Amino acid sequence: MSNHREDQAHRAYDDSPDRFRASRPALSFAGASGVLFEQAMAQTRMAICLCDPHAADQPIVFANRAFRDLTGYDEAEIVGRNCRFLQGPGTDPEALKRIRAAIAQEDVVVVEILNYRKDGTAFWNALHLGPIYDADGRLLYFFGSQWDVSDVRAARADERHARELARELSHRMKNMFAVIGGIVNFTGRARGIETEAREINDRIQALGRAYETTLDEASSGSIEVGQAIRSVLGPYDPEGRRIRFEGNGLRSDFSAVSVLGLSLHELAANALKHGALSEPDGHVTVRWNRNGAANQPTIVIDWVEEGGPHVDVAGVGLSPTAGSIVDRMLGMARGAIEREWHPQGLHATLRLPLREEVG
Amino acid sequence: MNEMPRRVLVLDDEPLILLDLEFAVEDAGCVPLTALEAEEALQILAEQAICAAILDVSLGQGQTCEPVARALAAMGVPYVLHTGDLDRMDEAVRRLGGVLVPKPTPAAVVVSRALENAQQGEQQRYG
Repeated sequence: MSNHREDQAHRAYDDSPDRFRASRPALSFAGASGVLFEQAMAQTRMAICLCDPHAADQPIVFANRAFRDLTGYDEAEIVGRNCRFLQGPGTDPEALKRIRAAIAQEDVVVVEILNYRKDGTAFWNALHLGPIYDADGRLLYFFGSQWDVSDVRAARADERHARELARELSHRMKNMFAVIGGIVNFTGRARGIETEAREINDRIQALGRAYETTLDEASSGSIEVGQAIRSVLGPYDPEGRRIRFEGNGLRSDFSAVSVLGLSLHELAANALKHGALSEPDGHVTVRWNRNGAANQPTIVIDWVEEGGPHVDVAGVGLSPTAGSIVDRMLGMARGAIEREWHPQGLHATLRLPLREEVG
Repeated sequence: MNEMPRRVLVLDDEPLILLDLEFAVEDAGCVPLTALEAEEALQILAEQAICAAILDVSLGQGQTCEPVARALAAMGVPYVLHTGDLDRMDEAVRRLGGVLVPKPTPAAVVVSRALENAQQGEQQRYG
């Protein structure tokens, strides 16, 4: 039977810690701590090396297998050399300065540094470096632990790039909506149809506000319904006192944005003209929920007006254009609107099929 | 040509674009049949004879109009691909060979492109 054990990665036992300990005076790794040292060094996936600060050029005196695996060098190629053989043309001199300062002051430091393997490929090394003292406080070694963080850095760069892209896209989209608004307005003025042009532009700008929210999480493909509702209705309640929002973090595929946004815009514009928002004490409560059968989930939005002009429930009628636009839009989205008139105001219920994120 | 109402299938996942195209198809003297999803469009094809179709290419959540385009091609019904995403358009859809109409194009123009093709299609079939 071989006395070679297997580590968690099911690879052959690493006996370099045994040999290292055997080659050193017993005082530094005596008894149980020596066995622990061997096991820890042999089994960790963290690349570790020790350097002798008292020898000329501070050579590496020990490197565990993870270090050899990471760098591609054999033990014989590592031991006796200064760590700088891992550096290369892309290594930042500033990072080296920090390492040298830490060694001079016997400090612990973590530096991300570009290192090179034996085969010439570069990797980002999160180098953790610090002094090791003996029981009497004398400096014995410097340890260096190396961790390949190339993937982490790439992910961070991707994420930053995606955020920048989303910001740029958001900026361009806002600009585009502003330009469209400008075109509509000046065309309206030139043609003597300013009122119509304003009505069109209000709808376009409401759509723009509804879409703005989708960009924050552009990559997820879904939007938070509440966020879209708030930004569409924001301009109708600049002080944040007239419209109350009640909802949870319901999310939807962004196909719902345009119809939802424009429908609420129409309701708000109407409330401002004839309903609760036309009176100083009037207010609106907007509630959104997920509802419907499991196989046909639905976004349900309750729009409740209160404190506006008294509604003559018997003789009520919505202005025909506004009503039919909302009805047609929701109908085309396979949704619906129901209106109930109470003396204190309109209570509308909007329903829209909920397309949830896949997966 | 026959006196049957000319039905036009319109497929788009954006209800407001659908609404606009629906009006435009009516204005062209045809009957619009609208669908928000490929499945809905295939259902319409199974039930009614149509003379032309307007297909949005990407239908959200990774869906494309490909199955609908295939069904139309098999039936010999001409269609236009109405897309804002020409560059990223799926190669499979591109190979199907529908007439491309980039978004944004005024709805009336999209419909007339679709009907142009319908007439050519009919001439070919009768000629």
